[in-house]
Amino acid sequence: MAFLLEILLYLASGTFYWWWTQNLTFFGLAPNFIFAAALSAAILAGPVKAVAWGFFLGLYADMLGVSMFGGYALTYSLMAYAVYIVKRHFDMDSFFSQLVAALSLSCFCMLFYQGLSLVFSRINPTGLKIFLTEPFLNALIVPVVFQVFYWLKRRTGIL
Amino acid sequence: MSREKDAANYAIVFFAVLSVLLLIFPASRIAHTARIVASYSLYPSLHYGARYGHFVRNVPANFVALLETDQENRTLREKVRDLEIRLLNASASVAENERLSKELKLSRSLPWAGSWARIINKTPADWYGSFFINKGSDDGVEVNDTVLGMQDDKAGLAGRVFEVYPKFSKVLLITNSAASAVCSIAPSGLEALVEGKGTWLLKVNYVPEQSELTEGAQITTAAGGLLFPAGVPVGKVTKVYPRESFMNFITADVTPAVDVNTLKEVFVVRRHLQREIIAAAGAER
Repeated sequence: MAFLLEILLYLASGTFYWWWTQNLTFFGLAPNFIFAAALSAAILAGPVKAVAWGFFLGLYADMLGVSMFGGYALTYSLMAYAVYIVKRHFDMDSFFSQLVAALSLSCFCMLFYQGLSLVFSRINPTGLKIFLTEPFLNALIVPVVFQVFYWLKRRTGIL
Repeated sequence: MSREKDAANYAIVFFAVLSVLLLIFPASRIAHTARIVASYSLYPSLHYGARYGHFVRNVPANFVALLETDQENRTLREKVRDLEIRLLNASASVAENERLSKELKLSRSLPWAGSWARIINKTPADWYGSFFINKGSDDGVEVNDTVLGMQDDKAGLAGRVFEVYPKFSKVLLITNSAASAVCSIAPSGLEALVEGKGTWLLKVNYVPEQSELTEGAQITTAAGGLLFPAGVPVGKVTKVYPRESFMNFITADVTPAVDVNTLKEVFVVRRHLQREIIAAAGAER
């Protein structure tokens, strides 16, 4: 049952991200809901499940992209692993740590993805505008998503 | 804790390798295709919208023009058909008008009073026997009134009125096998009996064998036969048969002056036969 709910949550996250980016962008900007979901899952879930969530959410993001299939999957998998390492030393349940983690990991993810794109497809998918603003947007949304996921975990036992 | 860390390590290695493999292999196109398939499957409206939208956007202007031309063509064809029918009707009307004009002009030159009537019914089973006209007792038509037809700008005997109804009458044709008329054969003025045969020909009977009956002789009604006024063309002798050994008269075939197959209107001559008979008897006395 929990597994089915996780699949449902995964699909809902992806769909919500798609809908948001399609309908609720301001000046072409929107928080990366996939990233937020991956970070929240990484904070809440165990290491294997966190990495798997990162991988599959990244795969979803790759699916919506046009090139470099697997780039986001690798990025978010590594991010989930990094969160697993970090959360052994820091309390990631607090609002402030989530804010800092979202800010820093957004930047790192973008840089990493940029690097991947330079290596694999030699294109520049992340513009400067996105690079400068999206981390802050992500930082704002991660605590919210975290609370949602946390509530779901308490109610249903997922993650 | 160590086991968890090992599991985390294995997981990250596994998924990292999987990601790199996806990155290395040209999976973008497959993913793109899968995404399109998924989108189309999940959003049928998008699928059909995109499909037909594309179709509609790329409809060439000349194709639209072609459709409009086709519609216009259909409308014009209907108009042409309608006009053809009107033309046929007009042609028929013109022909009828010409024919009626001729007949009217001809009827004015006739020495008999009467009225025109239209043939309204011919019976296939009695084609050379009778037909109906659209005039009856309401129009003053009486039994035994003479019926004339017009052919080649000449009047000819068609038959006589046989039955009269208020609105229509039945005409017994001269070609009916039961019809006959006392006629005069030109140029000698020999009188003989012309009978119908039930075909398109008439038969002249009881002609004395010594008389000079030749082919082409004109036959008109004789004064001796009260049913028809004298001098109405009946027909022309077309074939004279030799005398049979056991008979002392000869016979001949006669082509009627009027072809009943082409008749559309007839002229009904008012006879007042009873008065004529009384007047004839008085004159004799």
